[in-house]
Amino acid sequence: MIDAANIKQLIACQQCDVLYERPQLKQGQNAKCTCCGSTLIERKVDWINHSFYWSIAGLLMLLPAILLPIMGVTLGGQYDDASLFECVLALIDRGFYMIAVLLFLFALAVPTVRLVGVFYLTYSFKYQYLRPCQLSFFRAFHHLDNWTMLNVFMLGIVVAMYKLVDDTELSINLGLVTYTCWMICSTLAVQYLDQDEIWQTLEQRFGDQ
Amino acid sequence: MKTAKEMGFSLCPKCHKVNKTTVEPIQCERCHGLFYQRNRNSLQYTLAWNFAALLAFIPANYFPIMIIYSLGVPDESTILSGIGKFISEGLYPIAAIIFTASIIVPLIKIIGLFVLVYRAHTGVRLKPDKHSTVYHILKFLGPWSMLDVFVVALLVAVVELGFITSVAAGPAINYFSITVVFTMIAANTFDTRLLWDKFKENND
Repeated sequence: MIDAANIKQLIACQQCDVLYERPQLKQGQNAKCTCCGSTLIERKVDWINHSFYWSIAGLLMLLPAILLPIMGVTLGGQYDDASLFECVLALIDRGFYMIAVLLFLFALAVPTVRLVGVFYLTYSFKYQYLRPCQLSFFRAFHHLDNWTMLNVFMLGIVVAMYKLVDDTELSINLGLVTYTCWMICSTLAVQYLDQDEIWQTLEQRFGDQ
Repeated sequence: MKTAKEMGFSLCPKCHKVNKTTVEPIQCERCHGLFYQRNRNSLQYTLAWNFAALLAFIPANYFPIMIIYSLGVPDESTILSGIGKFISEGLYPIAAIIFTASIIVPLIKIIGLFVLVYRAHTGVRLKPDKHSTVYHILKFLGPWSMLDVFVVALLVAVVELGFITSVAAGPAINYFSITVVFTMIAANTFDTRLLWDKFKENND
């Protein structure tokens, strides 16, 4: 039976709202809801280091991925190429403001902010630099969860290349490689975050304030 | 098994801490955010965003999505006629990908969310475990519909060879991106716990 008095030891399933007492997990184990089967909490192995180094790799890749041209087209002796950033600028230039804004947000701004956020969080956990403001920071961080579309843009690049390869001379530039690396690094950096442990640590430190 | 709601607790949707239910909106003890025990007016919001998405989906298919100028001659194509061109050129895999991402996925998402809202509201033939799986699939599929928008955006930027060839985006691209964003918001506002609540209510 669940002891309702000890509220700190309770967890509830996000999908079906069933209450449980917090199980003691070792690294690498996870707890699943017996009612609906979704994961309740997960202890990730060495998440601080994994997340930290992947986010550093992602930050190194950030500028090349955005600024280097992804692909180029040659037709009738004329050559044109575009990087992710130039894509946004070209769209603004030609008056397609809405897709420019969406491309900027989903493929550039939100992933960048998330990557910087992961770096900041893991840095402060690794070097014991915890601050009360990180509670609201991590809370705000979750608002961005659904709005990264790096992988969709990647598939978009592949489709666009397929489309162009027949009619034109297509050249693949270094930007594609760095973009792919950036996508992998930032996805993994967020993947490795152990959200439950972050919240618990922050609560133990700053819970009374 | 008791749910948190029955025991007088509420789960913070952001930091997943169990709080005592007080006057709504409840302030989370851990992250200090305000929240409601269930997403407020969840079904109404989902329904409204869904209708808006469905409305925007009509002009998205009616107007041209991409205009290719070759030697100054415009060649307009809608989503469907673009797919037809791929098939006639024999590019079947791309035709399949574009068709799935820009026709099937938005439609499945809109219809699926309507069904979920209907089931959660009336409780007819409700299987909460299956329906929450459906919900997760819908939520996962959401962003992939942006594919067509990104492809057109890339082509506009890359194929800019002055008079020889250039690509412009048609008006449908705005409507289509509105559809995608609205279905994503609709999926985010839906609360799967309402399915379980209704199921328990029916079985008691």
